[in-house]
Amino acid sequence: MTAARAALRRAAIAFAMFPLIALLAPVVARERPWISGPGGETIVSAPVPFDPDAVDLDRRLASPGWRHLLGTDELGRDVLSRVLHGTRLSVAAGLLASALALGLGAALGTLAGWAGGRTDRAVLLLLQIVQALPALVLVIAGAAFLKPSFLVASLLIALTGWTDAARLVRAGTQRLRNEAFVDAARAAGASNARLLLVHVLPHALPPALATLPYVLGSAVLTEAGLSFLGLGAPPPAASWGRALAEARDLLPGAWWCVLPPAFALFLLVWTARRLGDAFLGRRGDVQSRLA
Amino acid sequence: MARFALDRAVTAVLTLLGVLALVFGLVTAAPGDAAAVAARAAGNRAVAISPEALAAFRHLYGLDRPVAERLLTWGWRALRLDFGRSLVDGQPVTARVARALPATLALNAAALLVACLIGVPLGIAAARRPGGRLDRISGFVCDAFFATPTFVLGLVLLLVFSGWLRVTPLFADTESGVRGFLLPVTTLSLASLALVARFVRVCVAAALADPAALAGRARGERPSEEIRRAVRRSAASFAAMGAVLVPSLVSGSILVERVFSLPGAGGLLAEAVFARDLPTVLALTWCSAIVVVAASFAGDVVAAAFDPRIAREGAAAEPGAAA
Repeated sequence: MTAARAALRRAAIAFAMFPLIALLAPVVARERPWISGPGGETIVSAPVPFDPDAVDLDRRLASPGWRHLLGTDELGRDVLSRVLHGTRLSVAAGLLASALALGLGAALGTLAGWAGGRTDRAVLLLLQIVQALPALVLVIAGAAFLKPSFLVASLLIALTGWTDAARLVRAGTQRLRNEAFVDAARAAGASNARLLLVHVLPHALPPALATLPYVLGSAVLTEAGLSFLGLGAPPPAASWGRALAEARDLLPGAWWCVLPPAFALFLLVWTARRLGDAFLGRRGDVQSRLA
Repeated sequence: MARFALDRAVTAVLTLLGVLALVFGLVTAAPGDAAAVAARAAGNRAVAISPEALAAFRHLYGLDRPVAERLLTWGWRALRLDFGRSLVDGQPVTARVARALPATLALNAAALLVACLIGVPLGIAAARRPGGRLDRISGFVCDAFFATPTFVLGLVLLLVFSGWLRVTPLFADTESGVRGFLLPVTTLSLASLALVARFVRVCVAAALADPAALAGRARGERPSEEIRRAVRRSAASFAAMGAVLVPSLVSGSILVERVFSLPGAGGLLAEAVFARDLPTVLALTWCSAIVVVAASFAGDVVAAAFDPRIAREGAAAEPGAAA
């Protein structure tokens, strides 16, 4: 048990690095010095003294060196600064989309499980329809007819990602609907809303909550894919997906434009999945480790 | 069994009809005037387009009729795989999709084949000794590949093999032939391979741990025989994997095609999206839904063929499925 707890703690700390980087990026990577003298001269500069959007046409595609630790891109922008700032977009999209997906899934799952009958069948059919479309296809089709933006991308991802949460919450609600303590509360005159919020959801929600890291991981992936196709947040916002699309056109040169955003994206998804594994106690428990 | 298959078929058709309505609704409700976009794409940008021309265009493509009527006519045609003409070049959408589809199908089929040919034996081998060295190493590697975004993996492979080693072409055009397919297939199959290997490993390990395996061991079965029976017992679960694999392959192939500049359906979808080419987007969405629903239907039926309990309980558990 303590081993599982330690694993959960490690996974949580590893994952928490990303929101932390996202919060600190504007302070760590900026052109304005931390402390400047009375004449505006730099006394203590920021560790990465470049704004993510600062174009420097004299230093286009500089390879990694002392001035630009990870080199510069096609427009002479500092790659490290852009990767750090890109964390904000990926983390924000992941958090927003997975929270929305969980909310939507919990609402529809509770509705289906509580009401039963025709409502239940309608929700199940909707669930099957959404699952019949590969997530990316549905998101792309939606993005095609809306103006690409961070909010649109997150919303569309949430609209495809709610199904697992809905299934879990529906199953939980069905199981709890006829429990004695729920009957007791109903006999005591509790309203439907109170029954659901106080007596059912606190028990039905946790299994869905535990899948949140996975949903977050795939939301981050879908957002990066959308940005890669040019359908995510519009320029000049620093985004890993778009950085990779720009780097693709520079190949076979400029490896320093490919690897940093690629590795950052991999690490974020990996730590999110690890956190999910740790939540479900999958490590070390061979029997329950389902793919 | 037949009843179960029929039940599932009805559900599949209902789902597809729902997809049709959902996608059409999404597209119709969204802002953006297809007629204006198409007219702008076709003609000189500098010249203003007369309202009469726009109206004629809308009339030509039936965009001026009520939504419900458009849904019905369009849905009926879609069922017969007739999607009208593209708003970009006026060609029949079916012809454009048919030109793009072979490359995509070849890519997906090859990736699926590779994933199964390597993933299934690897999963079985890992399941023989849960917690053994092979199990731990393959588990770690599979976890890593599973968490790697497909297009990121593709970019890194492209950088290494086409950029540094120069053994594969940078663009998978039609001229580069089979060599051009090498990296895209590897990229697309690795994530699925990881999923297959992990899934098979869990199923077979569970089958090796159940009482039936113990009984076999007590009868003096050889280890190879024991494994063979365990695989046979978990075959029904393998079949269910198809429903998970196919959608992820389709999603992945869209990005992989973009990474390798492969001229396929994914590229066509991206192109159609930028041009707001409604008929082409709908046709491709519809195609992918058919593939996914067909895979999930086939998976259900094959699973029921391997394990008759699924047919009995599945039909009993979901009486609403046929309604």
